[in-house]
Amino acid sequence: MLEIRGLSKYFGGLAAVNEFDLSINKGELVGLIGPNGAGKTTTFNLVTGFLRPTRGKIMLEGNDIVGRKPHSVAKKGMVRTFQATSIFPNFTVLQNIVAASHLNPKVVFWEAALHTSNSHKQDEHILSQSLGIIQFMGMEGVKDTPAKSLPHGHKRILGIAIALAAEPKLLLLDEPLSGMNAEEVSETVGLIKRIWQRGITILLIEHNMRATMSLCQRIVVLNFGKKIAEGSPEEIKGNNEVIRAYLGTSKYAT
Amino acid sequence: MSTKKLVKFISYGALIIILFLIPLVITGPYQLHILIMAGIAVILTSSLRLIFNSGQLSLGQGGMMTIGAYTSTLLVMKMGWSTWVALGAATATGALLALLVGYPFVRLKGIYFSLVTVFLAEVIRLIAEQWRSVTGGSLGISNIPPPDPIKISGLLEISFTSKVDFYYLILVFTLISLLILYTLEQSRVGITWFSIRESDSLAESIGVDTTKFKVLAFCIGSLFAGLAGGLYSQYNSVITPSTFGFFYAVYVLIYMIVGGGRRFSGPIVGAVILTFVPELARILKGYQPYIFAVVVILIIIFMPEGLVSMPDRFIKLVTERRGHA
Repeated sequence: MLEIRGLSKYFGGLAAVNEFDLSINKGELVGLIGPNGAGKTTTFNLVTGFLRPTRGKIMLEGNDIVGRKPHSVAKKGMVRTFQATSIFPNFTVLQNIVAASHLNPKVVFWEAALHTSNSHKQDEHILSQSLGIIQFMGMEGVKDTPAKSLPHGHKRILGIAIALAAEPKLLLLDEPLSGMNAEEVSETVGLIKRIWQRGITILLIEHNMRATMSLCQRIVVLNFGKKIAEGSPEEIKGNNEVIRAYLGTSKYAT
Repeated sequence: MSTKKLVKFISYGALIIILFLIPLVITGPYQLHILIMAGIAVILTSSLRLIFNSGQLSLGQGGMMTIGAYTSTLLVMKMGWSTWVALGAATATGALLALLVGYPFVRLKGIYFSLVTVFLAEVIRLIAEQWRSVTGGSLGISNIPPPDPIKISGLLEISFTSKVDFYYLILVFTLISLLILYTLEQSRVGITWFSIRESDSLAESIGVDTTKFKVLAFCIGSLFAGLAGGLYSQYNSVITPSTFGFFYAVYVLIYMIVGGGRRFSGPIVGAVILTFVPELARILKGYQPYIFAVVVILIIIFMPEGLVSMPDRFIKLVTERRGHA
């Protein structure tokens, strides 16, 4: 589904991402972990077109997507969420989802602008689809609440819901659990699992190790922009290189 | 729901009929002049809001108006075009210029976009001032002919010799413009603009070509500015390069903020009321601008959501009082 080969990004002389390879198969749930500043979010930005790679190849379902703009990558079926809470603050929850569903319009501009019967039918379709997403995300109770007045956990979930409304095949989640309390974490972990069970491939950045270990079948570890390990959660747990990256070298650890 | 719609429909209908009957009551040419200017301000302020809906504040709409005014005037006076065709050309010129500069401009966000639109308006003003052989320099162009008469034999004959004729002309164009702007805002395109204003990177991340939609908003807003400029030139019969300078753009912005930028009715209410305020304060002569400034400051302090938020605030106040009693 997604093939990344030799991806590099330099900010001045600093290699934020360095010769990074990754391939994700359809239906996988892959975790991307690493210490702060390892280049995880930069990788997301490169893959989704928010940043242009210095070098490297990114293939989505066989198409080279390097140099494409974010919206065009999203239309190809790869949608990302943001580390910082990202919602349409002055819209209600329902309006957020409806807007997001509107935004991948296969509708011609004039048709949409002039409310032709075809676009009316689509409006109804979008509304029912949006309500479906809200139900799926367990947000029926707050559907008419303005997004900005939601509690933090709900805002994060809404961020994921917005991405879902864009009908992704591959979903890139950037720290979906950050800032959540234990209860919200377990709820959201269940949610991510359900999204994955719907057949959406997921690449997950997360610092919550327990959640990542329980969710992902395969984990990739980045440090200083380089891949230092890749494998099943068990393999990663026992990998010396990974332990060193997180805890420091043995010189300091002992 | 349907009764609510009916009430809305009837009240808007009544309002439009009243607007059409106004010249029967108000006949003074000076009063009509104020109403005509209010109509032009409504077109401009509402189209500014459409650009604003996409998260961009243009301070260059005065420039677009100047372009429209000169295009229409020159086509009529130098090329002998029909005024109606020239008016269409003025409208198109505004949109075309916005399209031309739009792609580089919308790469800039927030205040930087606003700044380049100011510069664009300045450049237009300077061209109009310096290109004397065509534009007549800083004195501008006078004796611009009024719109060609409309003749439908035996039914209708409008010659545009009196203020009343112009009142109807501006009224019709204002209503059509508002209808188009409202339809756009309610459409999916409108929703897309709002979501870009809310968060453009989020909109981009879920598949919106934000650049294209921002340029589109700028183009449509400028299209109506071009129209307003063309109408003004044909009405006023004189235009100069500085008629719609930077201060005019700021005034239009004030109209929008005072009326309330969040709602469609905001710019309409703001433009109409603030066109009238200086006129009502006319007896105070030299103090006129002070009155305008005080009114604007008071409204911004006490009604940050604009004049159109007044009914809601009033209702809230009344219900709260009742709650206490």
